[in-house]
Amino acid sequence: MNRFSVIQARSIDEAAAALAPARQGARRVALPQLKAGGMDLIDLMKEGIAEPPTLINLLTVEEAALRRIDEGRFGALVTLAELAADAALLRTAPVIARSVALAATPQVRNVATAAGSLLQRPRCWYYRNHQFDCLKKGGSTCFAVEGENRHHAIFGGGPCHIVHPSNLAPALVVCDGSVDLVGGDRTTLPIARLFHGPDRGSVLGEHTLEPGEIIVGIRYRPAPTSGFCAIKEKQSFDWPLVFACVALALEGTTIAGARVCAGAVAPTPWPLPAVEEALRGVDLGDGAALSRACAVAAEGATPMRDNAFKVRLLPVAVRRAIEDAVRPARAEEATP
Amino acid sequence: MADADQINQPTANRSFNDAMVVDANASRLDGVAKVTGRARYARDVTVPGMLYVQGIRSPWGVGKLAAIDVPAAKAIPGVVDVVVERDTGEYDGDWIGHVVAESRLALRRAMRALAPRWERGEPKVGIDPGQVVLDAPDEGASAAYRRAAHIFEAEYSTPVQTHSALETHGLVVEHRGESAIVHASTQGTFAVAEEIARFIGLPRSRYEVRCEYVGGGFGAKFQIGREGSTAATVAAATKRSVHSFCTRREEHLDTGNRPSSHIKVKLGVARDGAILGGQIAVFGGTGVARGGGGASIPSRRYALGEVSAKTTNVRFNAGAPRAMRAPGHPQGAFAEELMLDEVAALAGVDPLELRLRLDTDESGARRAMYRAGAEMIGWSRRHANGAVPEEGGPIRTGLGVGSTSWGALRGPAQAEIVVHRDGAVELRSGAQDIGTGFRTVIGIAAADALGVPLESIDVRIGRSTLPEGPASGGSVTTPSVTPAVIAAAQDAKRQLLEVAAQRLGVAAARLTIVGGNLRDGERVALAWADLCRLLPTESVVGSGRFDGRGGTLFGEGHSHGVQFAEVEVDIETGVIGVRRVIAFQACGRILCRKTAESQVIGGVIQGLSYALFENRLLDRKTGAMVNPNLEAYKILGSVDMPVIEPILWSDATQTGARGLGEPPVIPTAGAVACAVLNAVGAPVRHLPMTPDKVLAAVDAAAAQPAGQPADGRPRREGGAA
Ligand SMILES: Cc1cc2nc3c(=O)[nH]c(=O)nc-3n(C[C@H](O)[C@H](O)[C@H](O)COP(=O)(O)OP(=O)(O)OC[C@H]3O[C@@H](n4cnc5c(N)ncnc54)[C@H](O)[C@@H]3O)c2cc1C
Ligand code: SF4
Repeated sequence: MNRFSVIQARSIDEAAAALAPARQGARRVALPQLKAGGMDLIDLMKEGIAEPPTLINLLTVEEAALRRIDEGRFGALVTLAELAADAALLRTAPVIARSVALAATPQVRNVATAAGSLLQRPRCWYYRNHQFDCLKKGGSTCFAVEGENRHHAIFGGGPCHIVHPSNLAPALVVCDGSVDLVGGDRTTLPIARLFHGPDRGSVLGEHTLEPGEIIVGIRYRPAPTSGFCAIKEKQSFDWPLVFACVALALEGTTIAGARVCAGAVAPTPWPLPAVEEALRGVDLGDGAALSRACAVAAEGATPMRDNAFKVRLLPVAVRRAIEDAVRPARAEEATP
Repeated sequence: MADADQINQPTANRSFNDAMVVDANASRLDGVAKVTGRARYARDVTVPGMLYVQGIRSPWGVGKLAAIDVPAAKAIPGVVDVVVERDTGEYDGDWIGHVVAESRLALRRAMRALAPRWERGEPKVGIDPGQVVLDAPDEGASAAYRRAAHIFEAEYSTPVQTHSALETHGLVVEHRGESAIVHASTQGTFAVAEEIARFIGLPRSRYEVRCEYVGGGFGAKFQIGREGSTAATVAAATKRSVHSFCTRREEHLDTGNRPSSHIKVKLGVARDGAILGGQIAVFGGTGVARGGGGASIPSRRYALGEVSAKTTNVRFNAGAPRAMRAPGHPQGAFAEELMLDEVAALAGVDPLELRLRLDTDESGARRAMYRAGAEMIGWSRRHANGAVPEEGGPIRTGLGVGSTSWGALRGPAQAEIVVHRDGAVELRSGAQDIGTGFRTVIGIAAADALGVPLESIDVRIGRSTLPEGPASGGSVTTPSVTPAVIAAAQDAKRQLLEVAAQRLGVAAARLTIVGGNLRDGERVALAWADLCRLLPTESVVGSGRFDGRGGTLFGEGHSHGVQFAEVEVDIETGVIGVRRVIAFQACGRILCRKTAESQVIGGVIQGLSYALFENRLLDRKTGAMVNPNLEAYKILGSVDMPVIEPILWSDATQTGARGLGEPPVIPTAGAVACAVLNAVGAPVRHLPMTPDKVLAAVDAAAAQPAGQPADGRPRREGGAA
């Protein structure tokens, strides 16, 4: 790890002021960087991939709103463990709580924050190994194309083929989430526009925040009939192979409307509008119709050499997320 | 099925061995120190003013160093030396030089300042499946094929598993000018003392190797490696203390591994499932080493008829293997057990029945374990391979079984017991506790033989200045040192009793020591403190030695074992959940029940991790390992843990302590693979059994012609064959 200094920001204003050089600075100069839980950032610093000269610690910020869970909104510093355990959230938007309930490990969830989870960097093993000078680090090759790509994208890849690692982001997509911002010109940004694919913006980054912007809160629309399913190779201390988030509007047992977003399959959270379309009008009791609609999730996939199995897993994840959303036990679970 | 809470307690199965146990309840003497962080491992040792060493390593499978800025690195404050020995690398992690610095920070800055520019060559990253072919059959194999009702052919493969010990490789040389203490994380205190002599610049009488605790070794910590020899060389040159430990990345790359294998099998099978013979060709990866590859198949645990076996070492651009917990055996057992289940299916025989027929253990111990285990796991519930449960759903269950054995190996050892006049008792053995519980085990042996409580013994181990003991490999430590300890205790006791007899004026033969008291017949004659006070000298020293002879690789008195596994497979996702493993293991006389059970549990865990997750993955284009950490290199975690029931088998043929460290890791992956075959109806022949491979097996099972499943029996739930 390199030498760096730490600013213990006591308020969001202080953090924003400390971050201000980032607004003027040229992108290439190493700029101060925000640290929330530090679960991702410190790892990257240890590996020599992130080298901020200054860390601005958000955990010392005193504003209570950053740590509160209100109806329809929670603060940027709320931990994943707190989201997972919040009874009101489990009632109003279970998909959000469920998406992070088994992510990572209990230790990580106790420290990792909501904003940090959205802005964590990709897990691509070439990116995470300092010796690979890949596109995302300013090099000229994507090593995954001809290399080891079993965990890479099956949708929207190219020129970089990462999958977006956040469990929380697709959950917020199906709840029409947005982030509250300070420190820049904007005060809000829909979650769907927080991320960009490698072909749409700089391949060096994954999000669309301007330098100097800080996430202070996260908003969502209630989605009481929503669910989550992650398919994991290993159940402890591992990322999902694929996962799906679903929010349903039901009329009786018929799906009147659905929001479906997949994770770990593309460089951004990956909405599945064709599946949403196919689900409309399907009766939950009609297993065959449900399976047909979920199978649409695989359409248009462009798997790489080693990850075709993910194409097969995705419809299963969607179907199980729907089952999760309508699970009868849901109501009891919400009461702690 | 038994109540989960109850079977979670290893003690539930203790009725199997109650009569054989020396200490049924002792806990690890250093357990509290370890879990509270008080135990100081070699890596934790810091000495004021010490230097740090780190290797400069090739990042690619084939690398040529085009440029490196040594002056820039040397210019960094705190950098003491930079040495570049070579400008080519043969594998990711290949040591080509090193940096010496006053602090870790200076070391890291120097490594960066070097800014090496490497040109990449074309690496070979593994065994080419195209080369995995059988030779023309010899006489015996040809005859077996001619007589056979079925010809069975299959190919299996196993990945590279790294040792992944929590404490990485390395040592600290604490230099004191004219003498030194070497704090080593090692499996061989005396091996380090011997090897380091060439580098440390001191006579053997001027340095001591200490190995108080070891954070895991699993076979990779016998040699000091470049990290150790360089540290010693630097210490000798500078007369300063040196700290040198591998990073996690280096640990994966260059401190050994369980090598990969491809195993091709062709067998002639009789109508009733008897194996008439055939061919087994093993292609064993060796990385850049010239040898050390292979898989122990056939294991000799099963009668396989006239089998000709051949091993071919395959070199490629990767770090070399080292011994790893039962070297060669888990690889071979995976292929052999799964092969047996496939043969059983081909012949329509129950796989347990087939094993009972083929088992070569003449003592009958393994057959008894098979029967007891079948009862416990409910083998009668085992359905035909790939049977679909009536209630439907994506979960399929399966049962599997595998076996193990380990020779009664041992080596020469010495020990001393010192009884002081103030009543203190010291047990001295230079051998090391690599986490097995050895410290506690020899304490128990000494307490038992001397007649005092375990708590009253101060066990001193892991020093090259104490009586010599073996390196911990081949599961020899306990069987070798324990006899020496018992002899030492008897010697000390004899001396104590002689003194007491003289002072009390009674015949020594009437005296004994029980529970720390001197007894004259049934009567307590003296309490321990009073007895020791009688000593004419400050202490008495009891000495014991064991010549190490009488070991056997095969045959009588070895450590048999059998493991049963129960799995659930989700056929929509390919995810395997191992639910239960019952592990029978003989280990001779059980000195310390808890640590012995812990060895069995640990072996099963390592075997499960091998079965499901572990895989050193090299990038096919560059030869660099893509997962040199403990996140992308996956190891079994708490949520994936099944209920594991260790059963220490008491076996009348075994009278002394036998090896236990290695045998329990051997059969697990094979037993799980058999259970997966049973669950989905087609085999997963390549480890690790990841969801993609399981899904392929599910497809293969579905593609079998209707009414003609792999095992030739109708696919439906219920009933054993
Ligand atoms: C073993 C392991 C397994 C994991 N598995 C999963 C998993 O399955 N699913 C999953 O989603 N995650 C997983 N994670 C990742 C983990 O959830 C993230 O590392 C964590 O959420 C990051 O949050 P943090 O608060 O620690 O962020 P930090 O590391 O502090 O920050 C991450 C990034 O966000 C920026 N940032 C933080 N807060 C703000 C803010 N308020 N405004 C603007 N920028 C900000 C920082 O500058 C930095 O760039 C896993 C991690 C580990 C170690
Ligand atoms: S997928 Fe992206 S991060 Fe990974 S190697 Fe390719 S460019 Fe780099």
